[in-house]
Amino acid sequence: MLRDSNLPLAGIKVVDLGWLTAGAASSTILLDLGAEVVKLEGPGAIDPFRNWDGAQPDTDWWNHSPWFAFTNRGKRSVCLDLKDPRGQEALLRMLEDADVLVENYRRGILAKWGLDAATLRRRFPRLVIASISSQGEDGPDRDMVSFGSTLEATAGLAALTGSGEAPVITGRDVNYPDQVVCLFASGAIIAALLERDRTGEGAHLDLSQRELTSFLLGEELIAAAAGAPSPRLGNADPAGAAERVVADGTGWRAEWPGGSAPVRDGVALAAADDFLRGTAVLRSPDGKPAKGIPFRLTNRPLAVRDACHTLGADNHAVLGEAGLTSEDITALEDAGVLAVAPRRGIVA
Amino acid sequence: MAAPLAGKRVLDLGALCAQQPHALAASMAAMLCASYGAEVVRPLPEGGEPLANTPPLLPGGGSALDRFLNRGKRTGAAAGPFDVAIGDDAALAAHAADVPIRTRISVFGPGEDPPMSELGLLALSGLLGIVGEASGPPARLAGHQAAYSAGLAACTGLLAALRAGGEEIVDVSLFDVAAWLNWKVAAGVLVLGTAPVRGGERSDWHTMPAKDGHVALVYQEKDWPGLRETVGDPRLLDARFATAALRRANRPEFLAILTPWFTARTRDEITVAAQARRVPIGPVKWPVEVLTDAQNTARGFLASDGMPQLPIGWNGRRVTPEVADAA
Repeated sequence: MLRDSNLPLAGIKVVDLGWLTAGAASSTILLDLGAEVVKLEGPGAIDPFRNWDGAQPDTDWWNHSPWFAFTNRGKRSVCLDLKDPRGQEALLRMLEDADVLVENYRRGILAKWGLDAATLRRRFPRLVIASISSQGEDGPDRDMVSFGSTLEATAGLAALTGSGEAPVITGRDVNYPDQVVCLFASGAIIAALLERDRTGEGAHLDLSQRELTSFLLGEELIAAAAGAPSPRLGNADPAGAAERVVADGTGWRAEWPGGSAPVRDGVALAAADDFLRGTAVLRSPDGKPAKGIPFRLTNRPLAVRDACHTLGADNHAVLGEAGLTSEDITALEDAGVLAVAPRRGIVA
Repeated sequence: MAAPLAGKRVLDLGALCAQQPHALAASMAAMLCASYGAEVVRPLPEGGEPLANTPPLLPGGGSALDRFLNRGKRTGAAAGPFDVAIGDDAALAAHAADVPIRTRISVFGPGEDPPMSELGLLALSGLLGIVGEASGPPARLAGHQAAYSAGLAACTGLLAALRAGGEEIVDVSLFDVAAWLNWKVAAGVLVLGTAPVRGGERSDWHTMPAKDGHVALVYQEKDWPGLRETVGDPRLLDARFATAALRRANRPEFLAILTPWFTARTRDEITVAAQARRVPIGPVKWPVEVLTDAQNTARGFLASDGMPQLPIGWNGRRVTPEVADAA
């Protein structure tokens, strides 16, 4: 893999317990900025993105999910059972040398394994722990089950979104809070690394996607508190300009004073010159589509530097670097604590 | 208290940007810097703060948008040494040529700034077309999501540049960020050759009317038994509703059973019943309800004037911005 020692996070080691988008794509931004990221999954708990419609039984289907590869390209892969005390111990060895831990497990899971943030902070005072969750670490709704679109509802976004009678959620294909949190969480983690540079102290960051979604409507909360709540405005611009979406042949067109633009679907987007020249979707070195990078640095060009690793491809290297002997590692493999395949078959 | 940018000076050129999406993105990024402890200076044009008359307007005068985005900043000239500047291409060239880290907001990338609105960005990125009721027109995300998400990206980029040290230009394309957020649509085409569309086969998450408002009906296939038991109507056991594909094919009949159950109950009753079976349904809350939400209250997220804290608990504490508005 290409390593660029000039990149802003060169030398930073991230242990990524992130699943799906919210956790895993936050780590990917750190990776693209130069960090080394070890994605840690368990033989009984692989990233749900590995399950995909094209998965073929009797193959290593878990290594072929385009959605998993899209998000997790370039990360080292370790498959370690954290439910097993030996797996927990191996993770602790990895954390000795780590700078950042990213996790978006259900609240309480890490604590059940004795890996709660307070314990980890005591043991690794320089570690930055980013806990990305739906509701936050505490509060009466801590354990409320939510997907991104549930949070759009509870955070106030859905009530103000929609061009008709009903409030609108973005649904399965967007899950907006899961996407946007990555832009914020990656920044918060870098801020915590800056704070560590200043003070020597790591941190536990409690990042609630519901709070972020409300935060991104900050002016509406202030207006509501002052007794001037906004109604649902449909497609009009909250800042007042006459903006609208009009039917345009078989499709739609956005119009505003000074311009207009077609409402693109995915096919139109993927074919558009501005998209092809942009950074939203890039290519891995193996040519496969890869999650892009939401900014450019002129003096330190950013790129997708490595393709997706197979599950557990870096088990030996990573645990060896963490100080385990080859006998230790073989023992973990023999016990099924360290693996290169999930225990279960395809999950629908 | 954590203050990772303590001692750093940030020049917020948001008020001098030529276009509103750029202005809002820059103002958001600079506001985050202020929350992280930087001293943020915001030069104003001759006419004064451009957001001062921008909705939502407050009954006592002033703009909620201005109050939110400019908190923790002070107005002043672009004079003196700065560590970071944030603005559009022209404002940076005019006011920040010697600032080591320049964060440049554009529409399509460096130097590509055709006239653009946030609605246009949502339209071009596909984020407008994918959102909305199945039978209705596309629906824009409420508020300023296109600009604010670019502001978040800009802040992450400039924090990385600060950590690296030296000179850097951080380029943030409003379009790229919106398309980045909408990756499932773009990647669907590139990976599978087909993209999800509004109202398409995956659009079975939507809001449902309740007795006192709406709830978000959100569930995966594994949650179907839980949802079925929550509603408790034996007709849902019918083979016509056994799978997502079948429920889709029989959608009018399916909704005819579901809807009366929802409209007979309050949002709270529905949420409690669904959550008891771990179905991820939740109430649609208006901002005024978000203000008094028990979760937000318990976590100290909102001030009494509705001002949200930076959404981080940092070692169990909030990163409270210093209010240094000397205007």
